[in-house]
Amino acid sequence: MSIINYASREIQFKIVYYGPALCGKTTNLNYIHERINPLNRGDLVSLATATERTLFFDFLPLNAVVIKGFVTKFQLYTVPGQVIYNATRQLVLRSVDGIVFVADSQWEKMEENVESWKNLCDNLSLQNMSIDDTPCVLEYNKRDLPNIAPVNYMEYVLNNGKKRLQSFEVISSTGQNVFATLNAVSQILLHKFSKQSEAPQGAPLPVAIPVEPPQTQKLPA
Amino acid sequence: MNAIPVLTIQDVATLDGVLGDFLKKTEAELTVVIDRGGNVISQCGDMDAMDVTVIAALAAGSFAATRELARRIGEVEFNALYHQGNGSHMFMNSVDDETIMITVFGSRTTVGLVRFYSAATAQNVATVLKGLRSSAHGFSFEAKDVSAAPVFVDHPS
Repeated sequence: MSIINYASREIQFKIVYYGPALCGKTTNLNYIHERINPLNRGDLVSLATATERTLFFDFLPLNAVVIKGFVTKFQLYTVPGQVIYNATRQLVLRSVDGIVFVADSQWEKMEENVESWKNLCDNLSLQNMSIDDTPCVLEYNKRDLPNIAPVNYMEYVLNNGKKRLQSFEVISSTGQNVFATLNAVSQILLHKFSKQSEAPQGAPLPVAIPVEPPQTQKLPA
Repeated sequence: MNAIPVLTIQDVATLDGVLGDFLKKTEAELTVVIDRGGNVISQCGDMDAMDVTVIAALAAGSFAATRELARRIGEVEFNALYHQGNGSHMFMNSVDDETIMITVFGSRTTVGLVRFYSAATAQNVATVLKGLRSSAHGFSFEAKDVSAAPVFVDHPS
């Protein structure tokens, strides 16, 4: 849980990108870091192995003015997706305010997606949190690949809890819907702390927000 | 509705006083109080040369990672960590179950002095934060004060 500092008029929120190995969590942060106004971001810190696999976490601090009179600092983290690093995932989840669950849309990754989702729920419960009470959105990534599951199937598999979550079709390598996902979790998070949060801002969407049709490039003859 | 714990101007002034006194006694360059999730609670000293937000995130990770090492030798956690550099060093000590204090210092002082004064400082900081956590009031803002525009904009370079 964050603390608000009245002297510096700052609020800090922590958003964690969670998901199975190689689903594109770091790619999300890389894209955000590359495209956001440099005045509104700090350095992207990656604690990775020599083969660019996340070892500990990636970290990207962002600033925004979204609450009247306060500077809002969002700290974006990724977790290491590999199964063996569960202790690290628990550490990164500590004091989390919002979650983006990144699922890999490829058929062969469905089991890993479900395992990772269960792992997220288990790790939240270890710190007396519940996914139903935590601002969370689903990101169905890699929608540009050929062997992907239909969105309806992914919704059936992952978005079947008590509370329907907002979900997005994303291609993180090109950035499609990456900012939409981040903005959605930020807004849900901000409204959780607003005085009218009992009235949710917009009902969860029945289907994932689609990506724009990818622009196909013609191969040279 | 959920409320965010509030660090009032008075709380901040008290913490600044405690941390300022610590820096004066130790001649350290910077001290930062963070929660174990990596959020900065208070800071004092020369912050121009360093990105405190990044230091806080990494220090929280470093402190948490060594907890497992401590368990292997029968400890709950290490109460303090010291990273020695060539010219700049970092000392981290536990304030309470939720909070860590980080001190960055150079050749003007010694780790012994920093360690000595950090114990009392951590106690004083813990007292302030205990009062903060036990207070009933929290902050929540009006929905109209939250901008409806997208928080972050895709900004091609």
